[in-house]
Amino acid sequence: MKNSFKKTIAFFAVAIALVSCSNNKDETISGVGGLKVEFENGFADNVLVLGSATVPTSQNEVLKISSIKYIVSNIVLLKDDGSIFTYPKSQSYFIVDGSDESSLILNLNNVPAGNYKAIRFGIGVDQAQYELGQSGIADFWTLAQNEGMTWSWASGFKFLAFEGTFTSSTLTSDTPFMIHTGKTGTDYNYTEVTLALPTDALVRTNITPQIHLSTDLSQIIDGTNKINLTDHDDMGMGAMIMGGADLPLISANLVNMFSVEHVHNDPN
Amino acid sequence: MKIKFLIVFILPLLWSCTQDSSKEYVNVPLELKVPSNFPPLAYNISQNPPTEMGFELGKKIFYDGRLSSDGNISCSFCHIQQNAFTHHGHTVSHGVNNASGTRNSPSIQNMAFQTQFMWDGAADNLDFQPVIPLLSAIEMNGNFESIIAMMKADSEYVKLFELAFTDKKINTENMFKALSQFMVMNISANSRFDKYRRHELGGTLTTDELAGYTIFNAKCATCHATDLFTDNSFRNNGLPVNPIVNDIGRYRLTQLPQDYYKFKVPSLRNVELTAPYMHDGRFGTLEAVLNHYSSAVVDSATLDPVLNQNGVLGIPLTATEKSQIIAFLKTLTDNQYITDTRFSE
Repeated sequence: MKNSFKKTIAFFAVAIALVSCSNNKDETISGVGGLKVEFENGFADNVLVLGSATVPTSQNEVLKISSIKYIVSNIVLLKDDGSIFTYPKSQSYFIVDGSDESSLILNLNNVPAGNYKAIRFGIGVDQAQYELGQSGIADFWTLAQNEGMTWSWASGFKFLAFEGTFTSSTLTSDTPFMIHTGKTGTDYNYTEVTLALPTDALVRTNITPQIHLSTDLSQIIDGTNKINLTDHDDMGMGAMIMGGADLPLISANLVNMFSVEHVHNDPN
Repeated sequence: MKIKFLIVFILPLLWSCTQDSSKEYVNVPLELKVPSNFPPLAYNISQNPPTEMGFELGKKIFYDGRLSSDGNISCSFCHIQQNAFTHHGHTVSHGVNNASGTRNSPSIQNMAFQTQFMWDGAADNLDFQPVIPLLSAIEMNGNFESIIAMMKADSEYVKLFELAFTDKKINTENMFKALSQFMVMNISANSRFDKYRRHELGGTLTTDELAGYTIFNAKCATCHATDLFTDNSFRNNGLPVNPIVNDIGRYRLTQLPQDYYKFKVPSLRNVELTAPYMHDGRFGTLEAVLNHYSSAVVDSATLDPVLNQNGVLGIPLTATEKSQIIAFLKTLTDNQYITDTRFSE
């Protein structure tokens, strides 16, 4: 009796599995859904805690990060059939602010239902937009100004603003640092990031997948290109990097700043 | 009976229709004529084609002090039409709360033909230029949120945005587009020099002016190139650095050592009206400017090579040559432009 009960359950389990499998195969994917992209800021292997000391960088510098903000733009989703969906450029400007939880999740709407295997986005405002002028900017200026992401001396936006204090073997008291990337007159400093998803994001009318990204802020100065903040210090006044030869190197580092933690495909 | 019904009921409907459409304003595209002696347009006009109402809106914004944090500083505060839109008599300009700037207001004309803006090239697309003075804490110190709120509460703005843009939105995009439309139409191309170049009536230059033009072409046109009189480049022209300000020029933007003390080569259009001269307005007269080039150029690591030929600093100029160059420069004055009521408040 017990045995046959188990068998019955097993039978139904297999049947349900088979039915749901075939259901999936026959499913005609249509309509539109939403997609959430979540950013979790960290430094090296640790979670970001604003104001507390980080692990030392390869340059033996310890940072206390007070603020991290970056513009996320030009979101493109790559489907498993090879086709791409470009999120409307003018709606694709977001500012992620490490101190504002609500800014860490980007809500994308009207995404065609489908199985997406990769995501591409930009950090900053691309050259094409600068050439377009104000077309498509809408009210992004207002958001950017409220977030302190405009420059008054160079016309445009801060793409990434990374600020705090640091110490090193020669600078033993907390010394300010400010790294602002953006278009400088000679370089666009825009960075494009493409990330494959470990499992497809299944956008459906009733499923809003959530892509969890982790952001390793140590990559900004301690990635492919190593930036020594102490070298940039101006007589104890701090390391202010907002241009110069190191800025394109920092922008290039950003390409490795993001990785995908996991994808949720829970029904709404 | 049926016909009577038609006349009584349908005709009034038709009547009201025509009345409505006759009231409705249709925005008119503005034609931008490129003067035949000008280089091609640099501004991408297809992205933001000027219209009658876009221009009117841009003009209203240009003359509106409410864009600034203290309500007093409009674009026109430092850009006065009768001085070819410069701040005549001010070495450097002042902004909100009487804050003082460090640079001299450049003229506004023929912007659509230029590729670099501000003394250091802080903008290389006209659409982005107004952002700088608008946000600068020592100029207009503006706040986009308050500016947009102010415009949304002003019925005149509401009407103009509605007429000027098909999406009718009052936002930063349309605000800057309107400003660009106003600036794009600001063309100064009717000086005596222009008429001379285009062989038009009134285009005669005197012997001195022509001699000045010849010397200018030989000694000045390397940088002050084309009929716009700028090559849009950044150069260190050998001015002694004012230690109080120590304006590092384009270095501020690029932080590249080769850009120390470099400033944009300005257009010389209407130069007679735009004193004082240089990025900091240090010279009050054109004579002083030419004296600098002939005998006061200071050597430094980034001095433009053009101003250091075989160890000779500056541009050799005799007294006669200087007065002839100045006579020529005055032929660039365009009275029609500086009195054109289309651009007036």
